[in-house]
Amino acid sequence: MNLLEVKNLNTSFHIGVGTVQAVRGISFHVEQGESLGIVGESGSGKSVSMLSVMGLLPNYADIVADSIRFDGRELTKLSGKALRAMHGSEIGMIFQDPMTSLNPLFTVESQLTEPLRIHRHMDKRQARQRALELLRQVDIPNPEARLKQYPHELSGGLRQRVMIAIAIACGPKMIIADEPTTALDVTIQAQILELLQHLKQETQTSIIMITHDLGVIASMCSRILVMYGGTICEQGNARDIFYDPRHPYTWGLLNSIPKVQDAPAGKLIPIKGTPPDMLKPPAGCPFSPRCRYCMPVCRAYMPPTTELSDVHRVACHLMHPHAPKITREV
Amino acid sequence: MDAPLIEVRSLKMYFPVGNNILGRRRQLKAVDDVSFDLYPGETFGLVGESGCGKTTVGRSLVRLYHPTGGQILYRGVDIAPLDEKAVMPYRRRMQMIFQDPYASLNPRMTVSSIIAEPMRLQGVAQDAIAARVAELVEQVGLKKDHMNRYPHEFSGGQRQRIGIARALAMHPEFVVCDEPISALDVSIQAQVINMLEELQDSMGMTYLFVSHDLSMVRHISHRVGVMYLGHLVELATVRELYSNMQHPYTQALMSAVPIADPDLAARSQRIVLQGDVPQPIDPPPGCPFASRCRYVKPVCREVLPEMREVAPGHLLACHL
Repeated sequence: MNLLEVKNLNTSFHIGVGTVQAVRGISFHVEQGESLGIVGESGSGKSVSMLSVMGLLPNYADIVADSIRFDGRELTKLSGKALRAMHGSEIGMIFQDPMTSLNPLFTVESQLTEPLRIHRHMDKRQARQRALELLRQVDIPNPEARLKQYPHELSGGLRQRVMIAIAIACGPKMIIADEPTTALDVTIQAQILELLQHLKQETQTSIIMITHDLGVIASMCSRILVMYGGTICEQGNARDIFYDPRHPYTWGLLNSIPKVQDAPAGKLIPIKGTPPDMLKPPAGCPFSPRCRYCMPVCRAYMPPTTELSDVHRVACHLMHPHAPKITREV
Repeated sequence: MDAPLIEVRSLKMYFPVGNNILGRRRQLKAVDDVSFDLYPGETFGLVGESGCGKTTVGRSLVRLYHPTGGQILYRGVDIAPLDEKAVMPYRRRMQMIFQDPYASLNPRMTVSSIIAEPMRLQGVAQDAIAARVAELVEQVGLKKDHMNRYPHEFSGGQRQRIGIARALAMHPEFVVCDEPISALDVSIQAQVINMLEELQDSMGMTYLFVSHDLSMVRHISHRVGVMYLGHLVELATVRELYSNMQHPYTQALMSAVPIADPDLAARSQRIVLQGDVPQPIDPPPGCPFASRCRYVKPVCREVLPEMREVAPGHLLACHL
């Protein structure tokens, strides 16, 4: 069953010099208990699309969607108050930088018990008891002492564990993790990824993992969306994306990182140029200005989505039966 | 093998961090007794987690810091004790590319004056500067009409190209690349890495490549040093290190890198270290890694392991 189903989501920001079209007509779903990865570069719309689903964007953002269904309810029709009741109880969020997303003025205890008292109406003692359990669940040693501390007294890894404890406090059905390990060192990243995987197995929570790190995606996610220029250019199972990618942008991403068994002699194949300016995105395929296989049609029309299998979908004109047959350069 | 370009001998860089309760100065030992050689034309990768001292080593080598102790022999001359004036002639041969291309370029200067600045400071003639700037702009893949623009008009990748052009202005022999790609998007990282490699091929520069991105270090480096808490714990050629790593910290660090391949990732065994990196302020005696090591023995907590050669060119500081 689909826990979340988004149809034709468009998000734009009205700023002084024009309108930034951050997300342009994307549709996707998240199944119960699955971990979905969203990869893309900065400005590809991956974070904005999730914030739009959550209704967490500022007023000058314009969010238009045919439908956003979460757990049988239509979110586009919910009031702000009803949406807020879902935040932190049914959907948990983990942000990139735990130093800026935790409040420096409050102790771990007060931040961790807040969702419990608001959503679960616990009293102070119950909430404290549950907070201790949560800290143990995210493997924080000496939880009694940690409750009294402020965020600045904790290391980056511990702060991110506190963030995760807050996100899972009310037993959410879905967790959105937006670059949860980007600010951390690799050995701490390994700890946090291990913890997230463990929590997912234990609680059957769905996880949406937003990241630019293909390594994190490969080890965490079973299904992947690749975003570029506010659109989904390719989606599929992890194996489809890593072993049978079809979109030239996905090829470019995979060729930009060193191979696992890379001898120092191997060359990287970068993507030429820079990501599009979303104030005036290209009329056709957003990747067309950087694509080495670009055809005239690519500049004029947005490519339709081709279904290669139930889950593997590609938005590229090269998929057309009359287009030249091109395979990935490795 | 050629004579080393730079020999680092027992380099120490301590920073004072206030007083303890007895009124004695406390010291943060950012770099403690680090020794290695850099050979002409090679890329030496320096890896480790934040706070391990890798950036401090890089900054000390180009003498942005005045080292607390040890020697930095540049073609046989010790530049560690030199004062600002005496070190000036060496500055033109050593340059640095910084991590954050948003912070390392002066927003009030045009691209051409940013690139020209090192030459102005070294007293190069005005018309020679103009010609060299035009040449550099082309070399790093920027356009001529970019020269009179300001940094804010450029993307991160283009800014990093400006920083690289500035570093190359005086034909340096040695360039410290301090996390040059960590602020850039994946597709742009590859552009910058390829450019650094091409520049090295054509100009024969020596790089010290400081990074926490272990897969990129593996890609670009000839030899790699692994640092932990101010100490160099292992050093070897890329091939040797990645096939025969011996230090428990190196093993944990490498296994923690997520592999961009779902099947391999599922099969690989991650060694998850417990706890965080300790503070390098008044560290305990013994091996710096002892508090997190899986194989720790009593001797590890008491005696600091010496660097020893375990295979030709493969140095290791571990009691095991």
